[in-house]
Amino acid sequence: MLEFIGPALEHLFTLENFLWMNLGVFIGSVFAAVPGLTVILCVILFLPFTYKMTAIPGMMFLLGIYCAGGYGGSVSAILINTPGTPHAAATMMDGHPLSQKGRTKAALKIALYASTFGGVFSALMLLFLGPQVAEVAAQLGTAEYFMVCLFGLTIIAGVSGKSMIKGIIAACVGLLISCIGADPMTSYDRFTLGIPRLYLGLDLAICLIGLFALVEILAKAEKKPGPLILDAEKMHDNGKISKEEYKRLLRPTLLSSIIGVMVGIIPGTGASEASWFSYDRAKAMSKHKEEFGHGSVEGIAAAEAANNAVTGATLIPLLTMGIPGDGTVAIMLSALMINGLNPGLSLFTTQGDIMYAIMIGLIFVNLFMLLQGSFLTKLFAKVVSIPQEILTPIIVLFCFAGAYSVNKNYFDVGVALIFAIIAWLLRKLEMPAVPILLGMVLGNMTETNFRRALLISNGNPAIFVSSIYCIIFIVLTVLAVATLIRSKMKEAKAGIKK
Amino acid sequence: MKEKESWMDRLDKKRDEIDEKLAKKEINLPIEFIAGIVFLVLGLVVLLIMPSQVPVSDTDVVNGRVFPKLLMVVMMIFSGVLLLKELYNVYVKKRPWTTKTVNLLIEVKALEILAILLLTYVICRVTDLFVIGAIFCCLGFLVYFRCRKKSYYVITLTAAVLIWVAFRFGLNVSF
Amino acid sequence: MKKRILSAVLTLTMAVGLLTGCGGSKTASWTVTCPWAPSGVAAMVSQKAASMSTNYSENIILVADAIKGDAATVNTWVADTKADDTELVFAGEGLFSITSILDPAKLQFTYDDFVFVENLYSSVFVMSADASLNINGMSDLEAYLASADEISVAANGATSSEAFLAAALFGSMGYGEKLKITPYSSAAEAAQAVARGETSFAVSHQSQILETYQQGGVTIVCAFDGDDITDGEFSGVEGVGKYGYPYFRNRCFVLARSGTKAETVSELKKLYDDILADGEMASWLSDTMMLEVDTMSEQDVQDHIQNVQDIVNEYYDIVVN
Repeated sequence: MLEFIGPALEHLFTLENFLWMNLGVFIGSVFAAVPGLTVILCVILFLPFTYKMTAIPGMMFLLGIYCAGGYGGSVSAILINTPGTPHAAATMMDGHPLSQKGRTKAALKIALYASTFGGVFSALMLLFLGPQVAEVAAQLGTAEYFMVCLFGLTIIAGVSGKSMIKGIIAACVGLLISCIGADPMTSYDRFTLGIPRLYLGLDLAICLIGLFALVEILAKAEKKPGPLILDAEKMHDNGKISKEEYKRLLRPTLLSSIIGVMVGIIPGTGASEASWFSYDRAKAMSKHKEEFGHGSVEGIAAAEAANNAVTGATLIPLLTMGIPGDGTVAIMLSALMINGLNPGLSLFTTQGDIMYAIMIGLIFVNLFMLLQGSFLTKLFAKVVSIPQEILTPIIVLFCFAGAYSVNKNYFDVGVALIFAIIAWLLRKLEMPAVPILLGMVLGNMTETNFRRALLISNGNPAIFVSSIYCIIFIVLTVLAVATLIRSKMKEAKAGIKK
Repeated sequence: MKEKESWMDRLDKKRDEIDEKLAKKEINLPIEFIAGIVFLVLGLVVLLIMPSQVPVSDTDVVNGRVFPKLLMVVMMIFSGVLLLKELYNVYVKKRPWTTKTVNLLIEVKALEILAILLLTYVICRVTDLFVIGAIFCCLGFLVYFRCRKKSYYVITLTAAVLIWVAFRFGLNVSF
Repeated sequence: MKKRILSAVLTLTMAVGLLTGCGGSKTASWTVTCPWAPSGVAAMVSQKAASMSTNYSENIILVADAIKGDAATVNTWVADTKADDTELVFAGEGLFSITSILDPAKLQFTYDDFVFVENLYSSVFVMSADASLNINGMSDLEAYLASADEISVAANGATSSEAFLAAALFGSMGYGEKLKITPYSSAAEAAQAVARGETSFAVSHQSQILETYQQGGVTIVCAFDGDDITDGEFSGVEGVGKYGYPYFRNRCFVLARSGTKAETVSELKKLYDDILADGEMASWLSDTMMLEVDTMSEQDVQDHIQNVQDIVNEYYDIVVN
């Protein structure tokens, strides 16, 4: 590890990298602060920019967006009682009440400090745990990798929304889409319908532009464009946090950061689960339980520390095994791979300098988030008031230009439009889109490892239970599915009672 | 300028009249039933076209059809479950169909937006000049949103040209 | 207000006009499209050559681009370019000798759609073996094969150059029927597979197996060349050619669109030749990439394509079936 730190710092400490980090943090904060604009949408829109960059500035830019997305959602949650991102909902519980008590600045400050702590903690965990996990991952063979993929597919259960059945169907669609193009094992074409451009398969970034970005434009039909005003004038308090409050913040912030990291490592769980779970824990352990829901400083810190602690941790399975922890990092995988960085141990050995630069860079991303948050929160509040009439065509143009620039042809723009129409129709049927994305990301890896394992064993399926790692992942998969089914059933029961 | 405003006024008035009529029209879609049928059929279609779309060699241990076939079977099973669950709820438990109310106005508006997107695409493709399509796209959305503020027109059109300039000269994407 | 808007639009139009008119200088940027992974050998060599182009030409700047997609990328390139466009593309025996026989429908071009500029390098593939098998040369290999029930070889791609080299070697040794090629998505994966014992052998570029070899995971059995390797870490590894077995090197031709002026092509060829003659480039190629500078003539290219086509035709059944 130490041999990579020097070269990594050399790669990292360039003006270009720091500029991209800051730009990413700024854009991510703005997107996350505007309700309706999501971090995933932001990463999709700006992904094509990274295609022309090398790995480090590209990843710094995307990580800037991703981390700031963790914090940005709290701005609108605190100011207008509307979470900018789903995982800021727990922050809203106490953030807005504290703001109503005339302590808006203090609430924003707590959210920022806790987010930074959680983010830095998570980045350090990535730095120290990542290479260890990669060492273990390197021992995994083809059959074990297939079991890892199966475990990764349990993410679907977590992102299926109301109906797990619909989630599984959507995932099958995503996995089927990943089959389009040349067969990875034989090079024969599959499902190309005689269209030469489909030999290459469908590019993930292009499909995502349709599935997540352009469909949001079609969804504008459902809303009337009203001005969204985040009243920066509300921030008239001095933002002071007392010594006693700082002391109270310490324990929930640390505990929530640990929870966030643990949740982040497990594929399929995300920032929302981490922030609610941490909020719940903080409440249970607090000496001031009565303040929760009425502007508790501990509540804000717990939720924010947890959702930012997820950011670095989700990168651990991504960088070591290629299993994305959530939809946003799934997109980052394509940014890595376009630069020839394939997840696995070799990433930490042959390309260790780049990998360590990215991991150390994540710490700086969080520190820049602290800096920008300290000085620019008022500006974020103003920027997010951009009218929909202006924002909508600009997003469309970014989508079109982005889709075109991936392979420099209009065919891909057409594909993005088709995916937007499909996503719109799926919305009508209340089918979730995220499982499609996960199916597309994991499809190729799942299929090749499945088929290759059977090829190695001459068709004997016993290969899938032939090693201790296989059995560990089977147990983990069963446990993950059982836990998720249980929690879904609980949710359903709670829904019926309500 | 006055003439332009009156033209827009007339257009808005007409749109208001149509909107008013459409807003009242709603359809209840039995979404679980439709989803079950749609994906069951999709699975069947994929399985049917597979022999013509996925060539295989006889000697392959696991050929290129196995994985998609497996997926389609899983998809059809779960579509069937979705369908049967709904039918069971309706006919045995006597619960109402799980429906989603679709408002015709919203769907027509979505079609209007789709038309703007498709026309932008066609203009870009035919002219091979992204900037022309970009200008059309901005104007299309501003008219769609019934925007009257001139400053918004200036801002969006400037942004459209700047996006093209950024990609064309910054990222060297020639379009 | 009206005036203000008009002047803003005018200013913008002028700015755009100025920007679009910037192409009047004598220097031309030539985009060199590599249709394989940006981390692959060809893309890295192209990148290196492009970074040195300004040292040798005032008229031509090479800009390296990598769009993974193999035949599909070249199809698009051919469809989108015409004679004298400042565009170059890489292609090798994979397209002209393997895909053209295995899946001709995939290619919407023939060699006639291009004009040859230069070949940058040649790479000698090596075959590695799981270290536990202790196969260190051709004699060990022959002894092992005599008692093996199955010969499993990891290759980067099912119908790649690596797969055909394995088929050619084992086929010509008389073990074609026992051969099982296991395709992997990258050379790194194939190297890890053989080191883990998932397969017995792997065929790869020298640089791609080096790390695994240094870690002791594999031994090097032979090189797919006429003579033994004389330089670098694998010096002394026997070439299969001296035993009379078929082989070919991996080569990557830089091509322009057919119809491009002969003087432009020779200017480009001279630029590449100057870059390849640079000591820095040559040592980077041999020391870091374990490749050899290998400039070629049009006839050499035709011979190389034909040689590989002959091998593909002969060992087609082993690889495809």
